[in-house]
Amino acid sequence: MDFRPSPEQEMLKEAVAKIAGGFGHSYFQLKAREGGKQDELWHALGDAGFLGVHLPERYGGGGMGIAELTIVCEEVAAAGCPLLLILVSPAICATLIGKFGSEEQRQRWLPPLASGEKRMAFAITEPDAGSNSHRISTTATRDGDEWRLNGTKYYISGVDEAEAVLVVARTGTDEQTGRAKLSLFVVDTDSPGFVATHIPVEIAAPEKQFTLFFDNLPLAHDRLLGTEGDGLHQVFAGLNPERLMGAAVGCGIGRYALDKAAAYARERSVWGRPIGTHQGLAHPLAEAKVEVELARLMLAKAAWSYDNDVDAGEAANMAKYAAAEAALHALDQAMQTHGGNGLASEYGLADLWGTARLLRTAPVSREMILNFVAQHSLHLPKSY
Amino acid sequence: MNVAVCVKQIPDPAGELSLDPSTNTLVREGKLILDDSDSYGVEMALQLAESAGGGDVTLISMAPNGETSGLRTALAMGAAGAVLVSDDALAGSDALGTARVLAAVVQRIQPDLVLAATESTDGYTGTTPVQLAELLGWPSVTFAKHVEVTPDSVAVRRQTEAGYDEVTSPLPAVVTVTAGVVEPRYPSFKGIMAARSKPVEELTVSDLGIDVSRVGWAGARQEVVSVQAAEERQSGEIVTDEGDAHEKIVGYLERIKVL
Ligand SMILES: Cc1cc2nc3c(=O)[nH]c(=O)nc-3n(C[C@H](O)[C@H](O)[C@H](O)COP(=O)(O)OP(=O)(O)OC[C@H]3O[C@@H](n4cnc5c(N)ncnc54)[C@H](O)[C@@H]3O)c2cc1C
Ligand SMILES: Cc1cc2nc3c(=O)[nH]c(=O)nc-3n(C[C@H](O)[C@H](O)[C@H](O)COP(=O)(O)OP(=O)(O)OC[C@H]3O[C@@H](n4cnc5c(N)ncnc54)[C@H](O)[C@@H]3O)c2cc1C
Repeated sequence: MDFRPSPEQEMLKEAVAKIAGGFGHSYFQLKAREGGKQDELWHALGDAGFLGVHLPERYGGGGMGIAELTIVCEEVAAAGCPLLLILVSPAICATLIGKFGSEEQRQRWLPPLASGEKRMAFAITEPDAGSNSHRISTTATRDGDEWRLNGTKYYISGVDEAEAVLVVARTGTDEQTGRAKLSLFVVDTDSPGFVATHIPVEIAAPEKQFTLFFDNLPLAHDRLLGTEGDGLHQVFAGLNPERLMGAAVGCGIGRYALDKAAAYARERSVWGRPIGTHQGLAHPLAEAKVEVELARLMLAKAAWSYDNDVDAGEAANMAKYAAAEAALHALDQAMQTHGGNGLASEYGLADLWGTARLLRTAPVSREMILNFVAQHSLHLPKSY
Repeated sequence: MNVAVCVKQIPDPAGELSLDPSTNTLVREGKLILDDSDSYGVEMALQLAESAGGGDVTLISMAPNGETSGLRTALAMGAAGAVLVSDDALAGSDALGTARVLAAVVQRIQPDLVLAATESTDGYTGTTPVQLAELLGWPSVTFAKHVEVTPDSVAVRRQTEAGYDEVTSPLPAVVTVTAGVVEPRYPSFKGIMAARSKPVEELTVSDLGIDVSRVGWAGARQEVVSVQAAEERQSGEIVTDEGDAHEKIVGYLERIKVL
């Protein structure tokens, strides 16, 4: 077992840290406040090839794995400017297109997704089908050799920044189980019959969430990705990368918070010595550090498993769970360490709360992960 | 246009640094990184080679323990190859000893132009490049803030206190560049992956035909006699503005004889 990152991974980490460090959390805050996007950061990463590290070289990618993309995702968050769209555009959408797309679809979408020139959102959640994807009611019906899409999705991130959305839709019903037969479609955001409305959320981030309405939206036959009716199985192939990126964001936020807290605790002095001297502050920070590092270790294991075709489901779920909890604890303790300043905009901690907190709910909720672990790791009976 | 860039690999200034109590010199045991000061030379060399329509950029470094981490960073930026001199006999080298080693490498690879930084981040004597030029018998131009090359000369805008001097020198020459002279590129992912397979020639003192008594502790004419902690900075004076802050500040500047 060798736990050292490769020299290339180290250089990748350094290079991304340098780029993102040049923007930093004040940039993230400014964009969030002004309703702007982190476009400059996104394109700087894309131009350097960092958003496509995991995609094949013949489609403009870097030819490496998901482990490399988690490094990019974590470093950006550790610099205080988390990019949730990394979970969606390169991690899920590009992965699914790479795995299930036709040669034509790959050539059309992968190079611009790898370079960051285009972004693709991902839509599975519906008002009546969140944790339970079998109940998806957005439907694609055949219309000659085309399709027509009808239905509603919600909490879809980054639609305003995306050229297209990868939509999970029902194309039939399994007669034996009554469950939806799902298929994947690439839907342009400027299609007729496509309406997106912003959902206000208490997350101080540049990225926004949307409700999507599809009203008899026409889809050419080449918009179906992979095999008709095999969508759920296909989506599962994108879920591990998504979980890993979710974990990477959590680990990055945890590191960001602890770096700030430790620096503050070394400097700030209330009783004539740095507050970090007091074990009441030092131990909780040390605990949070342990939790963040354990989450990073599980993240590395999961990414390695995924890239080496070893079943990554358990590790990816555990990493996502651990990272979300570690990020929240680290951020909370970092705020506590800062006293009143912990709540101040200037110190750049409290405004990340929403972003860290959403990781407990999305892309997969804490409870659904615990269900998975209970059922698959502990072989407990399924409750649903 | 073949350009050689002297790049120093140094302990990460953001990390914890320590001095060896017996020699008073910096401990260089852990991982070393590319000195930020040298990223400008690397970028400048890449731009000069590109604008000259081709040619290689070769890195030259002297560092302990066969260290290549910093070189890989510069190779990822686009340099074609590197020569690393690493040898236990080099421990304790002063700037002149370092210049001897670098000069021997320059003679070996015969570039048209050598770039270095004005001063390194850790040692910052700023004396190595000019000693290198002297040993080579080449002209040196320091503090370059703008560099242009023709096939047989280099034109430099040389930073001065008042502005800049325009200096033209025949090639080959040694030029030191100031920080900020160009915007160093970030290594791209392709660059990072390509860096792995770029050649790094590792040489010892004897490979270069240098007499070991002229480098390392044996050859050093400089000795760090003692080291003292820098005085703690005095806390600043806070001026509360009651309508007369500008007068107080002017008074302060007069007291310290800035005005
Ligand atoms: C900021 C943000 C961005 C998002 N971005 C996207 C996106 O880009 N694309 C997309 O498709 N979706 C997105 N989502 C949706 C997200 O994936 C869902 O909110 C999440 O999967 C939970 O689904 P739900 O909201 O429908 O909750 P529900 O399924 O209604 O669940 C409600 C609660 O019940 C719990 N629960 C449900 N079933 C069980 C069970 N069997 N056992 C125990 N507990 C259970 C859940 O854990 C949760 O706590 C985003 C959400 C947010 C908040
Ligand atoms: C006591 C002592 C012990 C030392 N021990 C070692 C040792 O164990 N191993 C070792 O390798 N060196 C060792 N050195 C050498 C030392 O690290 C410097 O390389 C040398 O003294 C140059 O001084 P400087 O940092 O002031 O360079 P400056 O003159 O400030 O450097 C200006 C520029 O010259 C170039 N340059 C300088 N040094 C190098 C270099 N090493 N390689 C490539 N380019 C360079 C860079 O472009 C740099 O920015 C030691 C030096 C001293 C004084």
